[in-house]
Amino acid sequence: MQEHFNAEIESLKNNLIKMASIVDEQVERVIEALETGKVELCQGVKSRDLEVDAYDNLIQAQCENILALFQPFAADLRFIISAMMINNQLERCGDIAVNIAKRVKKTANNYPLIVEAQINEMGKQARKMLKDAINSYIYNDSQLAETVMKEDEIVDQFNKQAFKFLVSKMQSNPELIEPCSHLIVMTKHIERLADHATNIAEDLVFYVEAKIISHKKKLQKLEKDQPEDDN
Amino acid sequence: MNIIEVKNLNLFYGKFQALKDISIDIKMNKITALIGPSGCGKSTFLRCLNRMNDLINGVKIKGDVIIDGKNIYKDRIDIVELRKNVGMIFQKSNPFPMSIFDNVAYGPRINGIRDKKQLEEIVENTLRKAALWEEVKDDLKKSGMSLSGGQQQRLCIARALAVEPKIILMDEPASALDPISTTKIEDLIFELKKNYTIVIVTHNMQQAARVSDETALFYMGELIEFNETKKLFTAPENEKTEAYISGKFG
Repeated sequence: MQEHFNAEIESLKNNLIKMASIVDEQVERVIEALETGKVELCQGVKSRDLEVDAYDNLIQAQCENILALFQPFAADLRFIISAMMINNQLERCGDIAVNIAKRVKKTANNYPLIVEAQINEMGKQARKMLKDAINSYIYNDSQLAETVMKEDEIVDQFNKQAFKFLVSKMQSNPELIEPCSHLIVMTKHIERLADHATNIAEDLVFYVEAKIISHKKKLQKLEKDQPEDDN
Repeated sequence: MNIIEVKNLNLFYGKFQALKDISIDIKMNKITALIGPSGCGKSTFLRCLNRMNDLINGVKIKGDVIIDGKNIYKDRIDIVELRKNVGMIFQKSNPFPMSIFDNVAYGPRINGIRDKKQLEEIVENTLRKAALWEEVKDDLKKSGMSLSGGQQQRLCIARALAVEPKIILMDEPASALDPISTTKIEDLIFELKKNYTIVIVTHNMQQAARVSDETALFYMGELIEFNETKKLFTAPENEKTEAYISGKFG
């Protein structure tokens, strides 16, 4: 029975790694297109998303079967839960890659703006985070996962700066309203990509260390901000 | 609040040591599950709590078992009174070969209650507590042996409840039952928690996870981990616990 269970777990992890490698490639292509202005790199990103969706369904079914048939506990249970969560994150990353590809095509003639707003750098950072998050999952490396979580702040800063820059551009030159709007949407997608990478890292820490760390910062801040009830 | 305190309990069957220095506190009105592979000592431990092992030849027990403030192995105690306070339900239901009514009334009668009306009240109340009343109320004269397996087990629980124990020990009470009867027993255990302290031995880890508040894992006569059930089944502190509940040994 244990062998049967181990085989199911191995198959689940293999499928997640295959899915992750497709998503990684999608993101790599769109970010490279963003960095280099070579729009043709975006080709095939959308069609590969169908493969990602197929893996999403397959992994969902595998997790459901393992839970129903083996009723795992402790680390095994956390593995399945984290697999379900990571599956969801990866599927969203695939969609985001498609959305970024669309915006890259629409802003192909505005490469200098992308560089000035540092959206290329932002994309590079988010892509690195996703790659590290995937690697942390492959190697059960919670230290690498911690690094990913810390780096989310960098992307958030890039996002704020880019937004400010693009708004000022729109104010100074109405002709830039359309491309800048596309770029603002694009930065939002990149920022979400980094968020999903962070979530994957958090899910890995949940699996390896049995700690729930999602929303930790926000909840700590809320606790700090709320005055203690004297009653 | 602890209702049972076990300190450095050691039990020997002749030269074989079945329990090794067990210390554990069991909280009042909680369900404590004892799990572990066959032969790990969990049933032996359970039977120590109402001195059921006294009847086995060659058994030697060292250490303290304090129930409700009394050391049941050292203080002068009345065994009948102890077993009235600490009832026991076995794996195989064992109704007496008599009517449903007489099965439940057996304990109260032994304790001197003769009044028919009072006995009727006790039988009805207890069968209600054991979630059996609605199924048997129309024919209490029927033999307890004619009930289904699940009903027989609930009758045994009713029989144990009739003498108003504080603690109920259960040794795999649902392992011989079908899933529906098992669910009824589990629902009943959960309901009983309001008024009784329950210690249950089970081989079924899902059952331990479902019904208990705290769980103790025994292995080769040792207490490996005693923890809140939620914690033990999601993030155990001991590697052996992790391995056992994940099916890697046992």
